[in-house]
Amino acid sequence: MNFDLTNDQKMLQREVRSFAETELAPVAPQIDVSGEFPWDNIKKMAKLGLLGIIVPEKYGGSEFDFVSLAVAIEEISRICASTGVIVAVNNSLVSYPILQFGTEEQKEKYLPPLCSADKLGAMGITEPNAGSDVAAMESTAKLEANHYILNGTKRFITNGGEAGIFVVFAYTDKDLKYKGISAFIIERDTPGFTLGKHEELMGIRATANCELIFEDAKIPKENLLGKEGDGFKICMNTLDVSRIDIGAQAVGISQGALEEAIKYSKERKAFGQLISNFEMIQGMLAEMATQIHAARLLVYYAGYCKDKGIPPRFSKEAAMAKYFAANMAVDVTRKAVQIYGGYGYTKDYAVERLYRDAKILELYEGTSEIHKIVIARELLR
Amino acid sequence: MDIIVCIKRVPQTAEAKVEIESSGKDIVKDRLTFDMNESDMYALEEAVLLKEKFGGTIIAISLSCSDAEDTLRIALAKGADTAIRIKAEDFDELDGYKTAQLLSAVIKDIHFDVIFTGCIATDDAYSQIGATLAELLGIPHATLLTNIEVIDSISHVHRELEGGLQEHIEISIPALFTIQTGINVPRYASLIAIRRAAGKEIKLVGQNEISKDQLLLNTQIEELFIPPVAKQVKIITGSPGEVSKELAGIIREKGLI
Amino acid sequence: MSEIFMLIEHRQDAIRDISYEMMTCGRALAEKLNTKLTAVFLGYDADKLVESIRDQAHRIMVVNNEVFKEFNAESYQIALAEIIKKENPLLTLIGHTAFGMDLCPALGTQLGIPFTTDCLDVEIIDGKLIATRQMYDGKLNAKIRFRKNPSYLVSLRTGCFPVRDSNIESEIVNIESPISAEPDYRKFVEYIEAAISDVDITKADVVVGVGRGIKKKENLALIEDFASTIGGVVACSRPIVDAEWLPKDRQVGSSGKTVKPKLYIALGISGAFQHVVGMKNSGTIIAINKDQNAPIFNEADYGIVDDLFRVLPTFKNSIIEMKSK
Repeated sequence: MNFDLTNDQKMLQREVRSFAETELAPVAPQIDVSGEFPWDNIKKMAKLGLLGIIVPEKYGGSEFDFVSLAVAIEEISRICASTGVIVAVNNSLVSYPILQFGTEEQKEKYLPPLCSADKLGAMGITEPNAGSDVAAMESTAKLEANHYILNGTKRFITNGGEAGIFVVFAYTDKDLKYKGISAFIIERDTPGFTLGKHEELMGIRATANCELIFEDAKIPKENLLGKEGDGFKICMNTLDVSRIDIGAQAVGISQGALEEAIKYSKERKAFGQLISNFEMIQGMLAEMATQIHAARLLVYYAGYCKDKGIPPRFSKEAAMAKYFAANMAVDVTRKAVQIYGGYGYTKDYAVERLYRDAKILELYEGTSEIHKIVIARELLR
Repeated sequence: MDIIVCIKRVPQTAEAKVEIESSGKDIVKDRLTFDMNESDMYALEEAVLLKEKFGGTIIAISLSCSDAEDTLRIALAKGADTAIRIKAEDFDELDGYKTAQLLSAVIKDIHFDVIFTGCIATDDAYSQIGATLAELLGIPHATLLTNIEVIDSISHVHRELEGGLQEHIEISIPALFTIQTGINVPRYASLIAIRRAAGKEIKLVGQNEISKDQLLLNTQIEELFIPPVAKQVKIITGSPGEVSKELAGIIREKGLI
Repeated sequence: MSEIFMLIEHRQDAIRDISYEMMTCGRALAEKLNTKLTAVFLGYDADKLVESIRDQAHRIMVVNNEVFKEFNAESYQIALAEIIKKENPLLTLIGHTAFGMDLCPALGTQLGIPFTTDCLDVEIIDGKLIATRQMYDGKLNAKIRFRKNPSYLVSLRTGCFPVRDSNIESEIVNIESPISAEPDYRKFVEYIEAAISDVDITKADVVVGVGRGIKKKENLALIEDFASTIGGVVACSRPIVDAEWLPKDRQVGSSGKTVKPKLYIALGISGAFQHVVGMKNSGTIIAINKDQNAPIFNEADYGIVDDLFRVLPTFKNSIIEMKSK
């Protein structure tokens, strides 16, 4: 048993931390207000290989494992949650399914631009009437000659407004229920594909969250990902993997909040002394640190299971990590605001942003409730 | 162009609380983070830029304990070809002079055209390793470089003087240069470079390779202490509004604007 | 004879301040030890410069040769090594300047005598030399003792010895230069003057100095706005110039300019020695910094421990209000 990061993971952590503290920190509060997509930093990160962390070198990636992905996402999210989400989506929601289920031609065509950020990735599952209930989706794709004709609307799509490559799910055969869902790789300039409403979010505000509208969109036949009917499997498999880095986002955001809270408690005085002298503050800090530590171990363990292929289905571990870490992050950032008192409720301090950023973690890529169902299903098999 | 870069791993104390250890001669290190010395990063980057232009190899050397192997690996990831760690644990107490002697003992057997070091280490702040090492190796040196115009048998470099003034000097290589911050923009290591560097071996040199007999300490730390306060600052506390009013009051009272 | 020696530093036909500081230090040491101070002057066309220091040391040793017109560590080293070997002074002082940093360690190494650099103070206690240095970003001082030896070499930090008047009648001794040309492995070519700027920070009554704490270049607009409200100019510490956010001519400190405004406001400046030396003689110093342990608070008259961006808007309003009254 070994809890140490490997040499390359330690170096990755050091470089990503240094990059985040230097390049991301100045922009993070600004893009939270403006919602501006951080293209400059995304391009810089692509040069370092952070957009294709888990992609093999032959497709332009960095060829690291999933624990490393978690370490990187954690370091990015510690400074800027929006950037953490953008990078995570490109890696695990888009590059991963193409890598796992794509043909050699698809990999060669789509992975290099995803790694270089020439084209950013986004994934379309959620619809206005289909969130956690994936099978309730209404989008359809009909094969006509050499094209699938896709109709439907995808909502709340991270990176949606800025992406160039989309992995989108739709029914090719509604009668087969979830077994009739298929996955497609769709390019931004596909005829019949337009962007809809840009969402104003509570947190992770610079993630170009946007609606995707398909009206008789013509998708070349060869852009089917996997086989017809593989969509649900691809979707679930991808979400399992992405739970590792949602967990990592939670750990990173919380770590950032804890560090802010510790610093503030050692500067702020009340009743004639530093608030860090008060046991209730100390108690909160101790709880926060312990919660973060527990979540980090769960996240790393889920990554480890994925890397080692043990156990064969790591769904439960990934779900546990995501569920625990998301709840943890909301609680830890809430405590951070609490330690700041009234000032924590103002835009002057980062904890206000971190609290808002954390809330999404309990909602997207499976709500906490869905995760409990996934975990329980594994327990009761 | 074969280049040697001397690298130090130092505690990051700029924004940290520094406490004196019970011996009174060292600081409490377990709560500090350590990383490559700032000007050494610029020295390394300068070496990588030259290598990209002229080819050749870069050797990174550090006299340090095993923890610093992480720092040497970062140097490998940023462009050094090989890394050598001189085992500090083998050589007892160190000062600038002894450090330079150990570096010279290793470097004298290596081919090089240029040696780069940072111009100052942020921990002990001696600014003496570079010039000492050059003298021990019998090569010319120039400190505080802000620009390398030409690097050749006759090189042209700029040194930083005071008050914004610089001097342009001519110097023959092999030579040693200490590098000032700001001379370039140090790069981040790419993930691929990190992965390749992680597996590389770091060559160790210790008391079996270097005789301890000739090593000399010039100086020893007798005690560390907190600097006396030159001026008693008045810390103004309160909300931003309150402190601002008070400051404006002081400025008016003293007729400062 | 166990004398104190010091090397005169000059540049562009002027004796530099550090020389007077070193002579002040050297005279005090010599007095305590009941010995003499010798100033070593290596230069060219020396008469006028030597004249300006002839009441500062007991003896002035002059090596007048064109080779010493400009500083070159390698030629100075050759000449000084010869003098020190011959005279064997107890202690030789050199400035810890761009000049001394290039010279002192190599000279000490060549001579095989114990040396150290960047000293704030030197004392001789019971015949033992003790130097005080600063370490760890100025957060600690260290007392340093030396390997026992008849002769020592130390470089002194600028600004540590307030210059005192002196009226010693100096004995002038001329010495033949051991060299007549710069060594062919290192030659001085020319000075490169700083670019002439539109803003002269040395002439302003109010200087707003910014450091790493301003986080990013875009924030300079806020600082400029504040500076114009308060009627000042914006200056900075070294990292800001390194990052190319402001030109070199705005840098305050040892490698930049020295300013003495009526009011210096340090925003997000930690107070590294290299910066402090360029502004510590300002009339009133106000520092705003998040880190309560930042050394800038050792120099400031008034300090605020807070995020500068929280304080700046209200500070600006208070100034506007004050001016309107």
